[in-house]
Amino acid sequence: MFKQLGYSFNADDCIGCKACEIACKNENQTPAHVRWRKVTKTSGDFFLSVSCNHCDNPECFRVCPERAFTKRQDGIVEIDENRCTGCQLCVTACPYSAPQFDPETQKMSKCQMCYPRQDAGLPPACVEACTTGALNHVDLNKFSDLEATRTLPGFPNIKITSPSIVFYPVKPRKRYFIK
Amino acid sequence: MKDGIYRNTCPRNCYGTCGILSHVKNGKLIKVTGDPEHGYSKGSLCAKGYAFTQYVYSPDRIKYPMLQSPRGSGKWKRISWDEAYTIIASKMIDLNQRYGSNLASGYNKFSGNLGLLHYATEGMFNSIGPHTKPIGNPCALTGKLAMNRSFGESFSSVPEDMAGSKLIVLWGANPAVTNVHQMKFIKEARSKGAKLVVIDPIFTQTAKKADLYIQIHPGTDRLLALGIAKLVIEKQQHSLEFLEEQTSGWMEYKEYLENQLTMDEVCKQTGVEIEALKELSELYGTIKPVATWAGLGVQRNSHGSESISAINSLAAVTGNLFLPNGGLYFMHFDVDDFPCALLNHKGPEHPMIPGPREVDISDYASSALQLSEPPLSLLWIASRNITQDHNLKAWVELFQKLELIVTVDLYMTKTAEKSDIVLPAATHFEEEDLNVGYWHYWLSINQKAIPPYYEAKSDLQIARELTRKLNELSPGFSNFPADKEPIDWIKEELTPEIMALYSLTTYEDILKRPYQKGIQKVLSHDKKNFRLFSPDGKKSEVSLYQGDSSGVDEYKLITPQSLLKIHSQYESLNWLNRTQDESCIELSTEAAQLNDINDQEKIEVYNDQGQIVGVAKINPHLPKNIILTHQAGNNPINQLIIQQNEEDVSTYFYDSIVYIKKWRESHV
Ligand code: SF4
Ligand code: SF4
Ligand code: SF4
Repeated sequence: MFKQLGYSFNADDCIGCKACEIACKNENQTPAHVRWRKVTKTSGDFFLSVSCNHCDNPECFRVCPERAFTKRQDGIVEIDENRCTGCQLCVTACPYSAPQFDPETQKMSKCQMCYPRQDAGLPPACVEACTTGALNHVDLNKFSDLEATRTLPGFPNIKITSPSIVFYPVKPRKRYFIK
Repeated sequence: MKDGIYRNTCPRNCYGTCGILSHVKNGKLIKVTGDPEHGYSKGSLCAKGYAFTQYVYSPDRIKYPMLQSPRGSGKWKRISWDEAYTIIASKMIDLNQRYGSNLASGYNKFSGNLGLLHYATEGMFNSIGPHTKPIGNPCALTGKLAMNRSFGESFSSVPEDMAGSKLIVLWGANPAVTNVHQMKFIKEARSKGAKLVVIDPIFTQTAKKADLYIQIHPGTDRLLALGIAKLVIEKQQHSLEFLEEQTSGWMEYKEYLENQLTMDEVCKQTGVEIEALKELSELYGTIKPVATWAGLGVQRNSHGSESISAINSLAAVTGNLFLPNGGLYFMHFDVDDFPCALLNHKGPEHPMIPGPREVDISDYASSALQLSEPPLSLLWIASRNITQDHNLKAWVELFQKLELIVTVDLYMTKTAEKSDIVLPAATHFEEEDLNVGYWHYWLSINQKAIPPYYEAKSDLQIARELTRKLNELSPGFSNFPADKEPIDWIKEELTPEIMALYSLTTYEDILKRPYQKGIQKVLSHDKKNFRLFSPDGKKSEVSLYQGDSSGVDEYKLITPQSLLKIHSQYESLNWLNRTQDESCIELSTEAAQLNDINDQEKIEVYNDQGQIVGVAKINPHLPKNIILTHQAGNNPINQLIIQQNEEDVSTYFYDSIVYIKKWRESHV
């Protein structure tokens, strides 16, 4: 693998504004129920913004009987909708619910990491939309930062697929509530 | 329309006024991106902005002019534009003949689209001579007037400069939800070591990000600001030179703080403990530059004016008022620099009636009901969903008395549903416009990027066509310049003075990128005569709403903006608001216990104005005397707002008292 493209997500900077989630819909014109990127609030009262993680060991790739998934040289996991028969095995296999089933087309689709944009030298649409810079795209083969972590509380088990995402946790704050 | 990329500007009532690049293919808007040339939004939009393709092509949009008879029956019939204009024009002419003037015809318009060409509605009514019109600003008037008293004019520092501040203090502002672009400048400052302080009764999304969060009783900001100033002065950390040379009222202010304000009282009234006050005063007293932001929430209560003045004075006392990267943020009214030719269009004079009949927009319906000789009989509603207003009872009554209600909108709002005629409005992608912000200082163009959706038209186009119909049926009825094209109106706004102010050399410049105003004015150091806080005396006591020993508990109703809507705008878009969920009513753990209410249980919030039913959500961080709900179209929360009888103020949205109880079927 020449590269392992992935995301870095800073939970301390994320304000839960959902610009990334809707920018993805704007770029890819997906219907409402097909959510390639999702912003959710964790029980720890911070947000996660999660799409397909273009994993090192993609379970979708492994379970798909139609071999609809491929992993590109740059690490992006791609799905070929023409091959998909809609069996939805990948939905159960993926810990992050990244493949999304469209009842209208009877096909799966998912985040392709905006490779047409990246091939043209542009950042993914969700990354471009993030005003606070909480969400970034990185090449994990080159990435190193001691402050970054592999997971955060509330993020699914990373052992199964080794997702291409790194995190920055929330920092403690001083708060005075009315007593 | 040619394929390609067009420049648009988001016209929402929002701090962003973002630059949009619209990608058009085969006459269709295929996606939007942020305009990287826009110095404030810098190439990104918010979630609502990214949903514009859905907003434009939603099947829920009104496609044709429609007539409903009888009103409210839901029996709509498609009519042609010509039929619509004929009905409306005939009614106007009939009312004019009946009463000898056009005072029986009026409009109500507010902030649905803030583009300068949307003043076409005002211009259209001006053009028929004296009529009935709304005045005032329910949103920010109290703060605007308080700012004017402090500075002699409106004042708000340059938002991009916050990136260079060392300390940022937000009073009742929640940019993480209402002004996401500001968060990037705040983040930039913090990455260079700046501290963020948030003062708010609600533990907001921004508060969660703050280095220091201080919770406060609503409406007591002035006491906290004064208390901090007192501590700063006690510690000799104030900017004496600045105070002596550039302010007025210093001795009086100092005397008030030293002799009339006790810290015990401040702590008691605000609910803030003394440690927090000391900590914040130490930050204010020792760090420079400090950016202070007096949010709109601060001024939406009866102490709003004093609070703004006290916060301004704190920025003055610490010498931060005119410091680069310090300063004071509120909002500005630079739109007033423009000719606003449509707004100020002069209509024909009436031999007996000197001018239009003005109705305070903060209390439009009940004031309009008082009108007689002639009563208000025709109401034109544009850029507005009336059912988001407070005092709904008066609106219901007014609607019953009106002979003709016309609503111009994109969607079938609750207001449109109650109208006789609805006219399909264009989105900003389907019309030309010019936009000025009220937070940042950028001016930007809005090009027509796509053909109108079905038969939608801009407010300006409607004004032109209705004028022609009026003059056809009654020659000389209106003097609206119906032949002027949108571009003529835009060019009229770009006077030589405006061009100089925004460094434009030709009109074509603005088609290439947004332009920023020369901002020396905002930063100028030689502002003499800043007026310091002086107590207004008439109301010094604060009621604490600590509940009532008789067993009936009172709560203050706080109704902040939602992330994915602006009032009722966007609520039908399923990209943003997937479920039309029931109103969620947040209450404190104490209030829930006291009223025996469980999480997710249906409850009722009520007062003598009305009631709404929603699902309880227990918020452990909510002060015990606050009920928090968001605004929504289906259960318009503002019906519970009680309006003060004061002139020249914002609507006191955060001053109303409500009660709660478990919901029981039999109640409805
Ligand atoms: S996140 Fe799921 S869909 Fe994406 S590559 Fe990994 S296993 Fe496959
Ligand atoms: S990378 Fe592109 S496709 Fe993937 S979530 Fe972001 S915007 Fe959507
Ligand atoms: S755009 Fe950025 S800040 Fe907003 S929700 Fe997404 S990751 Fe978080």
